[in-house]
Amino acid sequence: MAIECLVLGAGQEVGKSCVVVTIGGKRIMFDCGMHMGYHDCNRYPDFARILAAAPETTDFTSAISCVIITHFHLDHIGALPYFTEVCGYHGPIYMTYPTKALAPLMLEDYRKVMVDQRGEEEQYSYEDILRCMKKVIPVDLKQTIQVNRDLVIRAYYAGHYLSKLKVLGAAMVYAKVGDAAMVYTGDYNMTPDRHLGAAQIERLKLDLLITESTYAKTIRDSKHAREREFLKAVHKCVSEGGKVLIPTFALGRAQELCILLDDYWERMNLKIPIYFSAGLTIQANMYYKMLIGWTSQKIKDSYTVQNPFDFKHVCHFERSFINDPGPCVLFATPGMISGGFSLEVFKRWATSDKNLVTLPGYCVAGTIGHKLMSGKPTRIDIDKDTHVDVRCQIHQLSFSPHTDSKGIMDLTEFLSPNHVILVHGEKPQMAFLKDRIESELGMSCYYPANNETVSIPTTQNMKISATEKFITNCAALQARDSLQKSDLISSIHLSGVNEDERLAEGILLMEKSKAPKILCEDEFLKLLGTDRHSVQFEPLLPSRIEEAEAAIVDDLTSE
Amino acid sequence: MDGSLASSDPGPSFAKPPGSSGDSGPCASRSSGPGPEVEVRALVSMAGGLYPLARAEALRGLAAVVEKVGTSGGAVECCYGCAVELLRDEDQSIRLAAVRLIGLCAEKFAGREEVSGIGNGDQMDLIFLQLSSTARDMCMQVRIEAFNGLAKMQRVSEGVLLQSLSKKVIRTDTGSGSICKANKLPPKLIFPCAAGIFAHGIEDEFYQVRIAACKTLGALAKFSGQYAQKALDLLMDMMNDDTEAVRLQTLQTLFNMATYGYLSVQEKHMHMFLATLIDANAIVRNAARKILGLVNLPKLQMFRSALDGLITSLEKNPEEQDIYSILFSIGKNHGSFSANVAKHLAKEISTAPNGELILDKHRIQALLIVSISAPVSADKHKKLDIPSVIFSHAIPLLGRISSALGEDIIKDLSYLCHPSGMPFAEKGLMSGEGGRSEFWSVETMRGTHALIEKTRKETNCSDEVLIMGSMRLMLETVEETWAMRESCGIEEIRTILRTCKEEVKVFAIKSSGSTGAFLSFLCDYLDAIRCIVEIRQLIQLENSYAIGPTSLDILLEKLDTYVRRMKCCYTGLNRELEVQVLELVLLANLFRLSKFGVCSKLMLDKLHWIINQLDGLCADGSCEFSDFSNTVKQTFDANVIDGTLVVDICNFLKIFRLKPAKDFGMLNAASAVLQVLGNNSENPLPYICGLPVGVSFDISLSNISGHDRIWIRMNSGQSIQHAFLELSCFEGNDEVKSCSTVIPFYATPLACSFVLRVCLVIECPSGSICTHYEEHGGPRDSVVQLCDELNVYLVSTDTECKN
Repeated sequence: MAIECLVLGAGQEVGKSCVVVTIGGKRIMFDCGMHMGYHDCNRYPDFARILAAAPETTDFTSAISCVIITHFHLDHIGALPYFTEVCGYHGPIYMTYPTKALAPLMLEDYRKVMVDQRGEEEQYSYEDILRCMKKVIPVDLKQTIQVNRDLVIRAYYAGHYLSKLKVLGAAMVYAKVGDAAMVYTGDYNMTPDRHLGAAQIERLKLDLLITESTYAKTIRDSKHAREREFLKAVHKCVSEGGKVLIPTFALGRAQELCILLDDYWERMNLKIPIYFSAGLTIQANMYYKMLIGWTSQKIKDSYTVQNPFDFKHVCHFERSFINDPGPCVLFATPGMISGGFSLEVFKRWATSDKNLVTLPGYCVAGTIGHKLMSGKPTRIDIDKDTHVDVRCQIHQLSFSPHTDSKGIMDLTEFLSPNHVILVHGEKPQMAFLKDRIESELGMSCYYPANNETVSIPTTQNMKISATEKFITNCAALQARDSLQKSDLISSIHLSGVNEDERLAEGILLMEKSKAPKILCEDEFLKLLGTDRHSVQFEPLLPSRIEEAEAAIVDDLTSE
Repeated sequence: MDGSLASSDPGPSFAKPPGSSGDSGPCASRSSGPGPEVEVRALVSMAGGLYPLARAEALRGLAAVVEKVGTSGGAVECCYGCAVELLRDEDQSIRLAAVRLIGLCAEKFAGREEVSGIGNGDQMDLIFLQLSSTARDMCMQVRIEAFNGLAKMQRVSEGVLLQSLSKKVIRTDTGSGSICKANKLPPKLIFPCAAGIFAHGIEDEFYQVRIAACKTLGALAKFSGQYAQKALDLLMDMMNDDTEAVRLQTLQTLFNMATYGYLSVQEKHMHMFLATLIDANAIVRNAARKILGLVNLPKLQMFRSALDGLITSLEKNPEEQDIYSILFSIGKNHGSFSANVAKHLAKEISTAPNGELILDKHRIQALLIVSISAPVSADKHKKLDIPSVIFSHAIPLLGRISSALGEDIIKDLSYLCHPSGMPFAEKGLMSGEGGRSEFWSVETMRGTHALIEKTRKETNCSDEVLIMGSMRLMLETVEETWAMRESCGIEEIRTILRTCKEEVKVFAIKSSGSTGAFLSFLCDYLDAIRCIVEIRQLIQLENSYAIGPTSLDILLEKLDTYVRRMKCCYTGLNRELEVQVLELVLLANLFRLSKFGVCSKLMLDKLHWIINQLDGLCADGSCEFSDFSNTVKQTFDANVIDGTLVVDICNFLKIFRLKPAKDFGMLNAASAVLQVLGNNSENPLPYICGLPVGVSFDISLSNISGHDRIWIRMNSGQSIQHAFLELSCFEGNDEVKSCSTVIPFYATPLACSFVLRVCLVIECPSGSICTHYEEHGGPRDSVVQLCDELNVYLVSTDTECKN
């Protein structure tokens, strides 16, 4: 038996994660993402290849046992409505509760952008999304699900977050058919956050691990150092009477920074107001409160005492506060100052050198955030008529996404699978990581390109019955062994105890239509109905007396 | 064939056990009795069993055996080998037990090395790596246990330690490399497995793990300086942790590192340190301070910022008095920096307008303490020039310092009084000799706690002794100050005296009884001396040009009051003190004499009486009749015939020696409490205009003898009325007497309401000489107030008046 792994997306690239794995005849699709960089047919995985690989059937529903979505990012879920509603897959879809809650929002947001703003042809409608979500079966962490007679899946906490959006409910998925088992990680994070925990999984016997490898070569420095720099910059600014603008996205990041600041404010006894622009809290905190079980230990612990998302020092921001004097800290959307409220505030505050703007780790080209990050501009043109003189300080928050190469190595080492497949990464980095995994961990490692298939041999366990005589024989043998050993041990030393290899001899009998069986030599003879024949060998030493004699004669004659 | 196979089986496995071939040799000969071997063998075979719970239990059993057996013997190796095999078990409880067992074995190995003296660094490194590899386990308990095990390690090589801090794999050829080459390690257990375990540990999701990691970080610091330095970077980050327990553990770790001298703070760490100094949590602040008291700051800039931080902290939390002791020890640890601070402070003092340096300011107090700590610092070889003005200013803080510091330091502080009083004297600085003043020397936090607790207890019982001691020091200072009255500016003397008094007051608040009386006596004494100094100044000035007579009058009156208080309000003055007080009385009278030039009969009588009294006191030779008294007596005897006395007060002043008593005996202060129950501005007593009103007083008197004449003085506007209190009506003994009595006030004014100011006074006996005439039937002699004035509120019941 083997595991066939067809990489439809995210092979040697980042985007449209989609891997179809065939274990013991069962086909599972992990993630069904879309590529944000393409606007043509390349944006979706090439689903037709699934059918090509499954000659016995012609429709997706029978070809694929189930679809499993790890988390709600578009590069992991974006193609799902297309796959179910357009391609016509009607089988089961599994995802975690938070993912199920958040996915429709993401999908609908994107559909709107695609259709309304870019004026593209509609790939699927809002109704399609809703219909698609109806087919989803939510799963809980560590809940074992029997998909069908052979296939078992289980989700583990992955703790993943991205710089743009902290992700609740990201999961790693364990799948098992018969004796063949594998784990698909999705995106995960091995370093815990203030509000999201680190990935957690058990030690499992695995044949295959499919892991993301976004940061295959990078080793990130300590989170604490980044936090310290951030707090230092903010504290310095407000203590000098400046205003701090923190552009963030609604979900995740704002909460993270807010927990950090609120904590610091409490400790340092600061009285300077921290503002949340309206809208930020309502939507995001609602989800977080709802899904408290998916957050970090600290949040879970404190939840019983007080709601950790009810910040003590945070108040709502009114538009009229913009021109108020005095220091303050403001969280505003959107994160890259591409427009909206954060742009409005930026325009007012950027002109004073006392103020500070903190930027997220990643900004899309063309946004003001991107312009601020690339060098320190003194003047930014917002449109043809307006421009802003930028005098404020700029602090870049390098809270980076995904696990780093250390995290990948740690997880791989911990799970100790027989084989590793890398997806979701850049080709050169993947090659580097492959070498490390092979040399340091001694596992075979692959990083297939899109639409390539990797076949992995699996271990197969066999049940064997043994005859009674064989077992008694073994036991007797062992008893004798240990008797001998104990004499030795007490007279010499103990270190032999660890090397107690219980050897026994027997004959494995495998017959057609019968369970394999192990038995003793004499039983086997009886079964065959023959007597014991013994073959004895005599050592035969080749001798060359004649040659030697001839040589002597030669010698003699020559003399 | 069977037989030959069986018999040959154990052979090779004994000859060369692959895992621990290096260690088994030497241990083989050291096998102890058969006891543990049987247990170990049984448990090891169970540990290889099929069922996870049995395996875990077997490992726990092995751990119990390892704890029991001595360091010698092969049992430890055997258990270790078994634990290593199960280190990567699927079941987390087994991994947990295995990690714990390895930790125990490591301890045993370390103990063995200590006994034999033969180090096996490679083995220790190997165990360190094995434990490190479990520090990234997915199970929280395993991670905690791994860190706990790592904390017990001994003699780990520097390369491995450094690797444990950095996530990046450090490629080294030495030491660690040999492990890899030696092929002792299983393929998965190689050098990088230790990479960054601490970097991960301190970021762990569970605070329990973070605490364990933090402890281990500190515990390992003793093996390598380079490691300690890098570990500090990580620890500094942990001060921002969101869990308080972690922050406290971090501080505890830093404290331990500082105690053992592995803490070298750099400039980049200061920001964090200073932030913890003003943390909202008092425990955090306290711990941060303790660390600061121990560390060595390499740069003056850092030293100054540390001081600033402490001062800010002091300003925010003035109740935290231990900051002073921290300031002292910081100053002591950085002698030359403190000297620098002292120099700047001296400049500041000298430029302060009119010598008015506000000692109440925390900043000045803090800087003073740092400055005076310099002479006791370790940098004795350097000559530290501490301007003497610092010492004279520091004197009043003595009490604060001594209460903040332990007793050890107080001994050292005795040097203070010497340079302080005599800035011109060529005395070298007496620094606390020897290193016995190492208050913050090697002690654990707990040790320090115990010490502080002990000191506090001792201080309580020896409080009085302590106060007496410091007061004696202070009096010496006063004496010396008096000695330098000629050479020094009045301002300086006045400042010293004033601050001395402040200090006495600080003590007085806490003490009662005899000590309290003594302290309040001292207050009066210091006041009197200050008056004398000021009067002297005025008189000298008057010689050159005229000055408003009023200020002199006021001063003379003040001096009279102080002297009278000292004379009348204290019982149990010993002879020495009595003589001194009388001399002061004499001096006060002489001042009056010189002021008016001519003296009345009354004045002469008074002087005569005082001199006679002095004479009488010194007659039996128990006390010395001072030059001053003698001169006065002679002058008096010579001039008395014609009834006038020409006094050259300046001459007398020159002779006058201030010689504070060495022994004070048991003083008691006369005092009184006067109350009118139920009366205040809201609930006034009723009266009818023009008619006498009776006021009911509750009076209690302390330390008033039956011979004293006590009056109650009532005073409203211009009218003063004295009423004599018959002490026989009082109940109680000599110590405390009390009674309730109704005393009428006659001269009620024609007003809607008025406030009656009432106070108890004691008459000062002055022989038969009457200074006051009994105009209102009041006291014959001058009086001294026994209590503060009490306001009695009265309101007229007359309706007409109300309208």
